[in-house]
Amino acid sequence: MKNIIGLFVIGVMAFFFAPQQVNAQCSTELYVTKSMKALSKGYQFSKSYRIDGRNGTRKTIKYTCVFAKDTSYEIAMRGQDGDAEGMIATLYDAKRNKQITSFIGNKFHNSWRFKCTATGIYYLHFTFKDSKSYCGAAVLGFKR
Amino acid sequence: MMRKLYLAILSAAAMLSLPFNASAVVDSGEPVRLVNAPEQDDVFQIEEILQSIPTPLEISVLIQEVGTVYRRSDLNNPDMVNRYSRTIKKALNLGVYGTDLGYANIYGKNQDALSYLNSVQKLADDLGVGAFFDYQTIKKLAESKGNLDELITQTTLNFEKINTHLRERKREEISVLTLTGGWIEAIYLTAMINERENNDLLKKKIGDQRLVLDRLLLVLDIYNDKDGFADLIKDLTSLQEVYAQIEVIETEGEPEMREEDGVLTVVQGKKTEVKVTDDDIRKITVLLRSLRNKIIR
Repeated sequence: MKNIIGLFVIGVMAFFFAPQQVNAQCSTELYVTKSMKALSKGYQFSKSYRIDGRNGTRKTIKYTCVFAKDTSYEIAMRGQDGDAEGMIATLYDAKRNKQITSFIGNKFHNSWRFKCTATGIYYLHFTFKDSKSYCGAAVLGFKR
Repeated sequence: MMRKLYLAILSAAAMLSLPFNASAVVDSGEPVRLVNAPEQDDVFQIEEILQSIPTPLEISVLIQEVGTVYRRSDLNNPDMVNRYSRTIKKALNLGVYGTDLGYANIYGKNQDALSYLNSVQKLADDLGVGAFFDYQTIKKLAESKGNLDELITQTTLNFEKINTHLRERKREEISVLTLTGGWIEAIYLTAMINERENNDLLKKKIGDQRLVLDRLLLVLDIYNDKDGFADLIKDLTSLQEVYAQIEVIETEGEPEMREEDGVLTVVQGKKTEVKVTDDDIRKITVLLRSLRNKIIR
């Protein structure tokens, strides 16, 4: 009888808790809005990037960009952990050389700017470090 | 068959970490052509290319910044919207009107913007993506004349939502047409204004479009057998052939890191220089005029 009650309790707990774990949604839209507000004055919104690490199962979220020379690009990030805490935005050129990262000196920067002087393909990678939520968004702004 | 081949090309490019690598596309003078590729997630590759296409707003902002005068006659007629009955025309002109809407917004021509907004809404509805375009919010912003930045931002964001939805619904062929239409209109406007004003900055911008064109064609080729795509691809390929002749000089250099307004900033070391000639510009302008007229008529 105790075994049956025990199994019943485990079953009930599994029903209530397991779905929450599986379906923990990352509402990136909210963080797109927050990131847009964080873009510096003079930078025109261009694109948004969803950063959903699916509870840590996705280690890197990759995007590709075509950047134009003589244009300054700004990335602004916001996440569920507060500001850009736990999230890192790194830009690579076509030859995979790192150009800029938002994690420097053990600090998460909310934004960075890349003054592009070479039109080309660039890779924008979002990764996590000690993140609790693995959830956020970023926006790209540009200025001539 | 063609579709399979191009998907294979896309997959191979990803596997080789050369997915539209600038050196592979720009330096060799020939678009990437790879065969016998391993299987990959095709849709992801298409999504990756489409997502990377820059907003036409980047070009429109340049046009405004060089001090050119706004001329409505340069843009497509918003009343032409009812003439577009084929899906390909609707999708291409959704992009064309999107660029025109953004352009009118930048110049603060709110009455024109409202006309283009109606055309965009009509085509978006026809293509089944009207729900993703927040017509009322943009209309209010255009009517209020108070917040130009917000109007431009919301317009860009709404076009992004349309394209994201199309790709999520596996309607990438509509998304690529919309992006292609938007890009053609932006470069066409640049070319027309340059023809009147002979501006070096505009010439450089026109000459610097090869990468975007290559990427659009890579996806358009996949749908070669769909209604109207073959003619569009043929015209864009003629344009690509002119771009292939334009020399791009790359110079390596050391990047510089600094703080600007409290924001971490890197000034890139590498430089590219597009050696576009007046003859190149003339050829591109002729082809663009013909192509754009085919799209809007």
